[in-house]
Amino acid sequence: MSNRAAAGSQSSLREANRSLVLQTVQRWGGLTQVELAAATGLSTATVSNIVREMYAAGLVDTAATTRSGRRAQLVTLARRLGLAVGVHIGSRHLRIVLGDFAHAVIAEQSLPLPREHRMDASLDRVALLVADLLDRVGASVSEVVGVGVGVPAPVDAATGMISVGGVMRGWDATHLGQTLSKRVGCPVQVDNEANVGALAESTLGASRNYRDSAFVMASHTTSAGLVIDGKLHRGYAGLAGEIGHIQVDPQGLICSCGNRGCLNTIVGSDALLEALRPSRGALSLRDVVQLAKEGDQGCSRLVADAGAQIGAVVASLGMVMNPQIVVVGGELAESGEVLLGPMRTAILRRMVVNQIAPIEVVPAVLGVRAEVMGALLLALQAAEVPVMTEAEGEESAS
Amino acid sequence: MGVAQGPLLTMHGISKRFGAVEALTDVDLEVHAHEVVALIGDNAAGKSTLAKIVAGALTPDSGLIEINGEAVTIPTPAAAYNLGIATVFQDFALCENLDVTANLFLGREMHGALRRSDEEMERITREVLDRLASRIPSARTPLGSLSAGQRQSVAIARTLIGSPRIVVLDEPTASLSVGQTAEVLTHIERLREMGLGIILISHNMTDVRAVSDRIEVLRLGRNNGSFVTQHASYEEIIAAITGAPRADALRHPTGATLSAVS
Repeated sequence: MSNRAAAGSQSSLREANRSLVLQTVQRWGGLTQVELAAATGLSTATVSNIVREMYAAGLVDTAATTRSGRRAQLVTLARRLGLAVGVHIGSRHLRIVLGDFAHAVIAEQSLPLPREHRMDASLDRVALLVADLLDRVGASVSEVVGVGVGVPAPVDAATGMISVGGVMRGWDATHLGQTLSKRVGCPVQVDNEANVGALAESTLGASRNYRDSAFVMASHTTSAGLVIDGKLHRGYAGLAGEIGHIQVDPQGLICSCGNRGCLNTIVGSDALLEALRPSRGALSLRDVVQLAKEGDQGCSRLVADAGAQIGAVVASLGMVMNPQIVVVGGELAESGEVLLGPMRTAILRRMVVNQIAPIEVVPAVLGVRAEVMGALLLALQAAEVPVMTEAEGEESAS
Repeated sequence: MGVAQGPLLTMHGISKRFGAVEALTDVDLEVHAHEVVALIGDNAAGKSTLAKIVAGALTPDSGLIEINGEAVTIPTPAAAYNLGIATVFQDFALCENLDVTANLFLGREMHGALRRSDEEMERITREVLDRLASRIPSARTPLGSLSAGQRQSVAIARTLIGSPRIVVLDEPTASLSVGQTAEVLTHIERLREMGLGIILISHNMTDVRAVSDRIEVLRLGRNNGSFVTQHASYEEIIAAITGAPRADALRHPTGATLSAVS
């Protein structure tokens, strides 16, 4: 193992071993001491000593468990005050994290979902995955203060229901929060995926030092979450920032919302992949992003043009709300400057230049995990326990 | 990746009969690189028989098999391995008493100058598990102490020893929890990203629609529909599986639809 070779002095060796153990526990959620020894390559005695030290320092928890019929010590990261669950039900992926009040992720899992996945099946899988993650770290549902859910549709904050029909087919007639709350046995908060993404980036990510910011989520569909004067702005029916449904082509295709020529009909994954079909055959959005990163001409062009088109709409949004920074997340943003470059150019070209500071256009620090982390924050904020201050949170996360 | 090119595996007019039972009649199948082809159908539709023919465990009575455009025969599993075809069967065929590394290299040991050290095998195992984003903490864990999902991970990891081009997975998510299913589906996405052609046999429509590019339906040993996953609805696929007469939904794949698909 490289960490052993890199050690200089005795104390730096111990320090390296300790951080290795901590990282390993974080990666697997919960591990017995024997598994920890095998996973780190350290001796069981060393692991035992380190775990005892870290337990005394309040970094890890231990609990009795059994493995193959033998008694064992399960080691998990220490939890502050309680647990919360963040769920991102995306267009094609389900992401779920188990975190504590210091915003530290204790366990996580992602699951590919089919196109137009059905509500009953997906909510069932959410409930089962929550139980699975809790089981993995040896916790019970009574420790969970709440579940936050981000969905790819506008959500009315007052009722927690999807407020626009047709955007998520088969999902809009059900009270998602109540249905899921009954299944998992704790309070559930539901919000739009871009809104929770904005919450995450403005609390933990790229826009955390800014009062006014916009989070643009360019993925299978595009939408934005707005932070005004340090607070998430959802609007009357949760429609604020739904830039995917701004008309850009009066002669365009009919959108899932019922209008014509929305931005989503041009830069949504269906439109993007259809444009590649004649020359490339069936590709997934991930393939396109990967190919664009590798410099494939057609895919780069497609992503760059999408960036410019989204940028044109974001510029109008910028003139309405005047953010200091635009944070770009979602799966398309994984292509980096291929998307961001043309988007930045389009935004800067269309916006009035103020003389104080130019608008910044940056990638999301949390990447494709922004939404799920935001959902976790949503659950924590709704719980009636004081959330730790940011500085403390960062300290324990490092 | 994805750029139009010839299929990795072509099966044309495959028939197989067991006594009076016609398991497969005139079945066609194509698999491209970087593609997940789901093979679905009712019980006794012929899915596993077709998989066993690809794996070299059965030989067809008639039909043509091409790999990279060259006609081949796959008389034995060893021949399949040499052609770059790796298969995970429903019962895994792993050894309970051996550890993860030993299971990966079982039957793949090199001799003489090519002999690998234990450390090297463990390193390769670790590498393969990481590439799959697997959640098995140690390559030295005995198989007996792993969960069903982790065993499935090991079985899939085993296919990657020897750099295959085609991986056949027979019901990889049957009898797994949702968490374990999530792992296996992630593995399948990784295999696809590595540029392999994958044949995924499954009953679970949600799983199939989540990770496949194309869905081939078998019914009573015959092709009964070919769908691009992106454009297929549950109803169309179920109609093809059960044989419900929906003229608009059933696009009969007489080869013409197949080439239009790819």
